[in-house]
Amino acid sequence: MERALVLADLDVEEPNDHILLNTKLENEEPVTIMLPRIDYSRCIKCGVCGEVCDTGAIVAPKGRLPFVIPRLCSGCRACYFACPVKAISEGLRVIGHTYHTRVKLGTTSFDLITGVLREGEEHTPPVVIAAKKRALSIPRDLVIIDTSAGTANHVSIAIKDSDIALVVTEPTPLGLHDLEMILELTSTLGIESWVLVNRYGIGGSAKFLDKLKEVVSSFKTKIVALIPYSHEVIHSYVKGLPLVIMHPDHEVSKVLRYVSNLINEVI
Amino acid sequence: MLEIVVVSGKGGVGKSTLASTLALYLSMRGYDVIAVDADADAPNLHLILGINRWDYEEDYVDAWVATIDYSKCDSCGICADVCPFNAVRYVDGRYYIDSVICEGCLTCSLACPRKAIVRRREVRGKLRLTLTNYGFPLISARLAVGRPSSGRLVAEIRSRAKELATKDSIIVVDSAAGIGCQVISSIAGSNAAILITEPTQASFSDLKRVHSVVKYFMLPSALVINQSDINPEFTDKILDYARNENIDVLGLIPYDDSVPESITFMKPLIHLYPNSQAARALVEITSKIEERIIKSWHTWSRRFKPLKFIPYKPLIIKSSS
Repeated sequence: MERALVLADLDVEEPNDHILLNTKLENEEPVTIMLPRIDYSRCIKCGVCGEVCDTGAIVAPKGRLPFVIPRLCSGCRACYFACPVKAISEGLRVIGHTYHTRVKLGTTSFDLITGVLREGEEHTPPVVIAAKKRALSIPRDLVIIDTSAGTANHVSIAIKDSDIALVVTEPTPLGLHDLEMILELTSTLGIESWVLVNRYGIGGSAKFLDKLKEVVSSFKTKIVALIPYSHEVIHSYVKGLPLVIMHPDHEVSKVLRYVSNLINEVI
Repeated sequence: MLEIVVVSGKGGVGKSTLASTLALYLSMRGYDVIAVDADADAPNLHLILGINRWDYEEDYVDAWVATIDYSKCDSCGICADVCPFNAVRYVDGRYYIDSVICEGCLTCSLACPRKAIVRRREVRGKLRLTLTNYGFPLISARLAVGRPSSGRLVAEIRSRAKELATKDSIIVVDSAAGIGCQVISSIAGSNAAILITEPTQASFSDLKRVHSVVKYFMLPSALVINQSDINPEFTDKILDYARNENIDVLGLIPYDDSVPESITFMKPLIHLYPNSQAARALVEITSKIEERIIKSWHTWSRRFKPLKFIPYKPLIIKSSS
């Protein structure tokens, strides 16, 4: 049975899913955050707005009129609530966009939601939140969320309330190091983690697999699959055609199908 | 003193390999090098440089997190309405603040009519310093897992590096992936940017995004294409982009299995497999960085400045009220 699927690309700094799926982004919507607008006729130059601003976006020397540096503003509205004379009103600033694209691939199709941070903007969470909200507003059986690299709170926000985290690592010291960090996060958030070891077969893999297993078992989770290191994967990536379509009988395609089936069983 | 930042936008395309090779090469050539790992989210330069202990570690305490005093809370829910980061949840009849998501912005504390929310200081992450086996120091940061990313933490380790530096020092900054606050903090105020990419649509798209941030700060830039032979036509396309954008092309690194191999052994490629194709390309590239960027800084930096200053412009929708 075909499942209604939504793919949410929440790597808003560098969204790539649409590129790998050869799709043009559609149905653009802006992501706005509050931008303080100061009414200088009301301002009493007390400096409170500058004191409560956590990102240094309001320069408010005591006794002088304050001003706002939009790029640094996270839109948190602390200044709006703190101003004793209500001299701050809520403007809006666009810090990114979300997109909703219907992706057709072979005989199947699904919805892709993409969050894109504007170049030059620093604050990713509002775009992640907006894109996730848009993805979750679509009726579906399954949402797959693609997060950014790392373990900062834009990753936390993206994966929060998920049922399963597919944790992709590789048998190298770098993979091991980052695996520990991400498993610390998924276990803090109470998300069941399935670990996939990618590029299995590169130098020293066997040695590192043992170390990965130790880490994985210390977090009481499991390795669900080893994905062999393969030049065809690189080739399909370069060609912009998913491996499962380009080489359906490839060993890596089989592993990926096996993992999809595991997920299907959970649904 | 010269501060060179290595950026790519996309993760996993060779930033740390290039940054570590550059630091090693310059150090071998007798330069006073300081390496900075500005990826506090997933630091890894120390792993490539074979470090498993730190000479010095320090908590960086600049974060805030909000907590609710339930003796005052009357569950009005205003905190949940005003939280810009969706950190306030309603579970089993009471509101609580998710300490992982909370950015500590003070908004809920100020909005709460009963003054029931207090903000306390929290550790953002760690600053770390060690002398590598190769004779130069490495400064690195590690963000507390899951917590808000911090440009300030990156700015802090860069300023620590500057405290160690002399007027002849070369600071090599390995930036995080992406284009967000950590990357902006790595780029702002640096002297030169080395862009590294792979000849794939995804990597090129990410490169252009990070390059536009580099241009906001008017940094002269150079380009390295990694795994250039996996997609030669696309490599040409990236070279065209470099020409049009006035980016100095330093060289191409061929696809080479000895690169991931050297990473598994936690040894720099140019030491472990000095004769591999990738190692030779890397040495050629880093020697060009020495000759062109460092030795001929004044000529090079003028020659490869972005052609036009396009300042960042906020997109503002005016207030309706």
